[in-house]
Amino acid sequence: MKDLKLTARNASEPTVITVGECRFGEGLVVVAGPCSVESEKQTIDTARAVKAAGADMLRGGAFKPRTSPYAFQGLGLQGLKLLAKARRETGLPVVTEVIDPRDVSWVAEFADMLQIGTRNMQNFALLKEVGRCSKPVLLKRGMYSTLNEWLNCAEYILSEGNPSVILCERGIRTFETYTRNTLDLSAVPAIKELTHLPIIVDPTHSTGRLGLIAPMSMAAVAAGVDGLIIEVHIQPEEALCDAGQAMHPQHFSRLMGRLRSISAFMKGETDEAGKHSSTNE
Amino acid sequence: MKPESIQAQMNKIDRELLVLLQERMGLFLRSTKTGAADPEAALKKPLLADADQMNLDLIESGFSNRLLQIIIEESQRLKNEDRPLVAFQGEHGAYGEVAARRLVPGGAYIPCLEFNDVFDGVENGQFDLGVVPVENSLEGAVTQVNDLLTTTGLKIQGEAKVPVKHCLLAPETTDYRDIRMVYSHPQALAQCREFLMRNKLEPRPYYDTAGAAKMLARENPKAAAAIASSLSAELYNLNIIKEGVEDGPSNRTRFLLMSREGAAGGNKTSVIFCTPHKAGSLYSVLRLFAENNINLTRIASMPLRSDPENYSFFLDFEGAAGDAPVDDVLQKMTALTISLKQLGTYPADEA
Repeated sequence: MKDLKLTARNASEPTVITVGECRFGEGLVVVAGPCSVESEKQTIDTARAVKAAGADMLRGGAFKPRTSPYAFQGLGLQGLKLLAKARRETGLPVVTEVIDPRDVSWVAEFADMLQIGTRNMQNFALLKEVGRCSKPVLLKRGMYSTLNEWLNCAEYILSEGNPSVILCERGIRTFETYTRNTLDLSAVPAIKELTHLPIIVDPTHSTGRLGLIAPMSMAAVAAGVDGLIIEVHIQPEEALCDAGQAMHPQHFSRLMGRLRSISAFMKGETDEAGKHSSTNE
Repeated sequence: MKPESIQAQMNKIDRELLVLLQERMGLFLRSTKTGAADPEAALKKPLLADADQMNLDLIESGFSNRLLQIIIEESQRLKNEDRPLVAFQGEHGAYGEVAARRLVPGGAYIPCLEFNDVFDGVENGQFDLGVVPVENSLEGAVTQVNDLLTTTGLKIQGEAKVPVKHCLLAPETTDYRDIRMVYSHPQALAQCREFLMRNKLEPRPYYDTAGAAKMLARENPKAAAAIASSLSAELYNLNIIKEGVEDGPSNRTRFLLMSREGAAGGNKTSVIFCTPHKAGSLYSVLRLFAENNINLTRIASMPLRSDPENYSFFLDFEGAAGDAPVDDVLQKMTALTISLKQLGTYPADEA
């Protein structure tokens, strides 16, 4: 870990990254929205629904890295325009994935934060390109990656001059097949020991099972995560991508209430712990 | 050629035909103001004869005759509508046209290549009105127009502050990732400087924003886009890649509506004056406005082209010629200035 000149925790205070009015690294930031941008109505309706439920930020894919080249690849530029429109309508900042270095400056024109997906975590050309842009980057953990490899990828972005990287744990591949991946929740406190950068959790892709999203979200907040990114679709059964793992806005709204309570409780705990440690000194 | 590209090519030609017809109608209306007897009567014969001599095997003379007859009938109908002829600089779709549509709803909007074509045309009666940009919130004065305000005899009839939402436009076949060059009017390119730099795009000055859009649609140069209005995107069938590419959040251009007679009245007045080269002469003029509690809304200076090292001053203020304090100030100004030109009193755009 000694090569992590800019990423390592060392003595530095945790970094707070501002995206619109959201502050990653200070309280709980919840990002929600559809897997992919499919149409104007679906995007705007979902954006309004997640805003009403209390989400802080909108997600939505315009460029989709799909396992099969024949699967829906995303709306591209049209999708970016729809996301920008959803932001105008709701005021929610927008995060979207970029998969091609040639798209980086264009995605940065429309989105408030750029996402590097799990399959591209070690796409170094792409990392360097987002390192040169002026928008914060959400760096998802590679599904086969160690914490060290992941943090080195953050170092790539930081070393190009972009100081705003938010890490996202999204599950890793294990021998278990019941869940889509295995959510590595221990990564949350571990990352807090290793780096000053904020970390969020994606309970949707890590479990791939609707029933597990709410419990794992709550567990992540209890583990001290800075935020969550959750798939919500206005009509989950009709989603063009990853149908069956997106939450219905109603369920998401209920979950939001619980998450805020746990977050408030955890904040009290941390403050209390802080007080104790200072009296000990 | 694939069937769909044949269809696309035909659609493109149809659009161009319509834009050309629009331009022809405008020219005809303009010609009716020149005092020539019946311009169509003179044009009719040679045009029809040409169609026969051009060896267009698919265009038979019967068809071309019918077509021209329809065009001429429509021209006459438009003439009888007697719409005010409003000139603007640039091609159809230019911001001048956007402003003209706002200032004179229901007019006939005629494109001019240069600003002085607008001023000349209104002065000699070929147009009823002209619409010209005088200043922009990001880039300041449009010097050529300010110069023409000093040298020509037109009056201001009204003003419009038009929000300028620049769009990056490209033909449908151009992948946005391939764009390297962006054509537009130098003012528009300057207003989008940061956007162009962020995306490593090379600015290419062109005589007009809408003209750049039109050129793209016709010639489709490789790796090129244009910055122009969304109206241009509609007119020339271009894709809007991004809306609002200007650097400032409130990019506005103030347009003036010029006429021979000026407005019947209003609450805002514009003057241009020159002062003698001696200490305090500009101050003595401005003091008059302060003492009479008249609010100035614009003050600008421009070097006199005819007299280097001397300047003309542009002053806009709240108040109307005919109001006692304003008349008093204007009368006292005459004694304090070398020249004083009143551009008129007109209704202010409060937007």
